[in-house]
Amino acid sequence: MPLTILLPMVIVGIAGIVLLLHVFGLSRAARLENEASARAAWLREFPDEVPERVIICRSGSAALVQLTAGFGVVWPMGADTTARHLTGARVSRTGGGVAIDLPDYTAPRIHLALDPQETADWSRLIEGST
Amino acid sequence: MSDLLTYPEVTHWAVPFFIAAILAELVWIMVKGRGGRYETRDALTSLIMGAGNVASSILLGFIAYGFFMLLWEMTPLDLGTSIGVVAICFVLDDLRYYWVHRFGHRIRWVWASHVNHHSSQHYNLTTALRQTWTGTFTFMMIVRAPLILLGFHPAMVLFCGGLNLIYQFWIHTEAIGKMPRWFEAVMNTPSHHRVHHGRNPRYLDANYAGVFIIWDKMFGTFVPEQETEKVDFGLVRNLGTFNPIRVAFHEWVGIFRDVLQPGINWRDRLMYAVAPPGWSHDGSRDTSEQIKRKHLASHPEDSGTPGFGDSAR
Repeated sequence: MPLTILLPMVIVGIAGIVLLLHVFGLSRAARLENEASARAAWLREFPDEVPERVIICRSGSAALVQLTAGFGVVWPMGADTTARHLTGARVSRTGGGVAIDLPDYTAPRIHLALDPQETADWSRLIEGST
Repeated sequence: MSDLLTYPEVTHWAVPFFIAAILAELVWIMVKGRGGRYETRDALTSLIMGAGNVASSILLGFIAYGFFMLLWEMTPLDLGTSIGVVAICFVLDDLRYYWVHRFGHRIRWVWASHVNHHSSQHYNLTTALRQTWTGTFTFMMIVRAPLILLGFHPAMVLFCGGLNLIYQFWIHTEAIGKMPRWFEAVMNTPSHHRVHHGRNPRYLDANYAGVFIIWDKMFGTFVPEQETEKVDFGLVRNLGTFNPIRVAFHEWVGIFRDVLQPGINWRDRLMYAVAPPGWSHDGSRDTSEQIKRKHLASHPEDSGTPGFGDSAR
């Protein structure tokens, strides 16, 4: 197929599908409804490391997980979630919460939407653990 | 036979069908409220990976084709271009696909290319298009060498490979449960391939087939989808980014970081590149065997069931 046809078709096709998905309301991020769901989301990634404590932010968009050694974080990846240890994390405050920089090519920067009190508390906990 | 034999670039011609089928699956899911899930950024990443795969094949395809033409000039055999020869070529190329795919899950260097196809937590028709940008660098074109040396023209082999990929498109869906029994017995199906995309310990390293599931049954890697265990899609450790560049290259970056780390010997450096994914010199990570073993330690009742040592059940 000539590139002059293939390229526009691919671009229009991708744009059309993405637009439709958004219009259908399929851009909503996952929410951690309660401690059990946050715990399950953590254990889905790290089944051998049972959390000692789970702190969910008020918006339900992230959870801080206290482990035997250090902390971990659970956050939405689109309609699903993923999780990481916070070893080597650097925290910076942003307008709407915190940004966590990790030495991890697959999760280099995690933005968490937190209220001002949570921003202060979570920053202190994460900084204290790394 | 002429060296200038050409076949249609079937994967390119299939693009309109891919787009139409994705729209049909999406509408089906929205109308029926079942049959799979879609998410905007996940789908966008998958589609960009697909477009990148086409671009990469246009830019780098000459390397594999040049290699194949070199072999074609060397071989004294020429099986011609009859329909029967194309059919045999298709079946043998599917056997080739099985082994390349199996290597893709068992050799980290090849996994680095293939991993992106498994990096979505969704399983829909866009996932089928989440394809590698770096396949050329795995050197897996070598596995096609016997076909060329046997007398199958390189253009025919690539044509059959394209048809194989098109077949595999439709099996990336949750909208289809099971196909008729005879079909499930011989062909790769949505059910069989869902298993392949599972991150559940039971489903790791299973169902490598492209078109014919018989290869998995022959070589002991077949695991049927269990009604009692829903497939959890994605990677053992799911990505924390939708960035297509990171999706495409993350395992390569991981290999180079591991290989170049200080304080390990040369054998360990080599093993980080070629051992199964999850291998580590200090045992700090888990391979799929170790993940299965740990699962059985906490769920001994699963011992001997499909995916845990007895694929025949």
